[in-house]
Amino acid sequence: MPPRETNPNFMNGVPELLILRLLQQDEMYGYEIVQSIRTRTDSVIAVGEGVVYPVLHALERDGALQSRRKTINGRSRIYYSITAGGSHRLAGLSESWSSLTSAIQKMLVGGQHVQAVQ
Amino acid sequence: MSKPFNELRERLLRAGVAPRHVQRYLNELADHFNDLRAEEERAGSSPADAESAAFARLGDPDDLAQAMIAKPEFQSPFHSFCVRAPWAAFGLAPLMLLVSAYVLASIILATGWAIFLPQSETPFVPVHGFAILYFGVGRMLYFWAPILIGWAIAFVAARQRLTALWPMAGLLLIACIGASAQVHASRTTTVSTGIPIGPSHVTLALDSVAATKAIAISPWHALALLTLTILPWLLWRVRMAYPAAR
Repeated sequence: MPPRETNPNFMNGVPELLILRLLQQDEMYGYEIVQSIRTRTDSVIAVGEGVVYPVLHALERDGALQSRRKTINGRSRIYYSITAGGSHRLAGLSESWSSLTSAIQKMLVGGQHVQAVQ
Repeated sequence: MSKPFNELRERLLRAGVAPRHVQRYLNELADHFNDLRAEEERAGSSPADAESAAFARLGDPDDLAQAMIAKPEFQSPFHSFCVRAPWAAFGLAPLMLLVSAYVLASIILATGWAIFLPQSETPFVPVHGFAILYFGVGRMLYFWAPILIGWAIAFVAARQRLTALWPMAGLLLIACIGASAQVHASRTTTVSTGIPIGPSHVTLALDSVAATKAIAISPWHALALLTLTILPWLLWRVRMAYPAAR
């Protein structure tokens, strides 16, 4: 049975961030990327696996990724790797995401604090 | 490629996604599907169950389609040029192509006249040897350009599953220009002997003379061109509309 998909309202920009982060370490093809996201997020983040490709193609078109066809064990696949522009974009996205999560965390912790005082 | 992918292809093309993006997307989805199915089979699923699970994991067809077409039309990186600028794809580009073909045909006529028929009052006389081939290329360009360009419009429209409006407008434009474009060749001659003395002139014009003097000819010519170019596309559309008839 496929895992439950993550609430799409919270997913805006997240696949892009995760893909860039993964590809910063190594070049990968689509299936590998999806499995890595699933493994490294303990399946907390799960989307329809096929929708990763439009994100990859858009990132490639924007110059954040580059692709090349590679044949391994007789199977030809398209491997993606990050470009210098992609690394720059990743740095910006990571910074925005960190600010956002710390702000949300502050709100949540602040809420608990108010409850504790009452 | 299996049925769900065929349906996805049709949906993406009808939404205006460029065929090369559609093909690449479907190829990668097919590879991904094979990986998922193999993974499920390794985990002990039967082939049928593995296939169902792989399709479920790949994503709902609606989501797969929306991921490509969700962005507004003019911002999407995946939409084809024909969808983003149909006026250019079916108006300007065919027009420029047709004009280029006619200009080239006129150049061939003028140079052929100067090379092979320097003493002739007109280039429209019987020729021999290599001149047949030389003038033949120009004649082919002149007569076949509107038909070939019309077929190209029909091919693009069919390949990208476009609605009829812009391709029809393009075909009509090409048919009208193809029917009215005329090549005129003239050369100054001496009054007494009729011997050509001046340089030759080849001009290309939309033939308003033909339209006024022989008004019955030009529209029929246009209709013939339109029918010839539109017919393969209409047949294709009927086949797509009634797949059972294939």
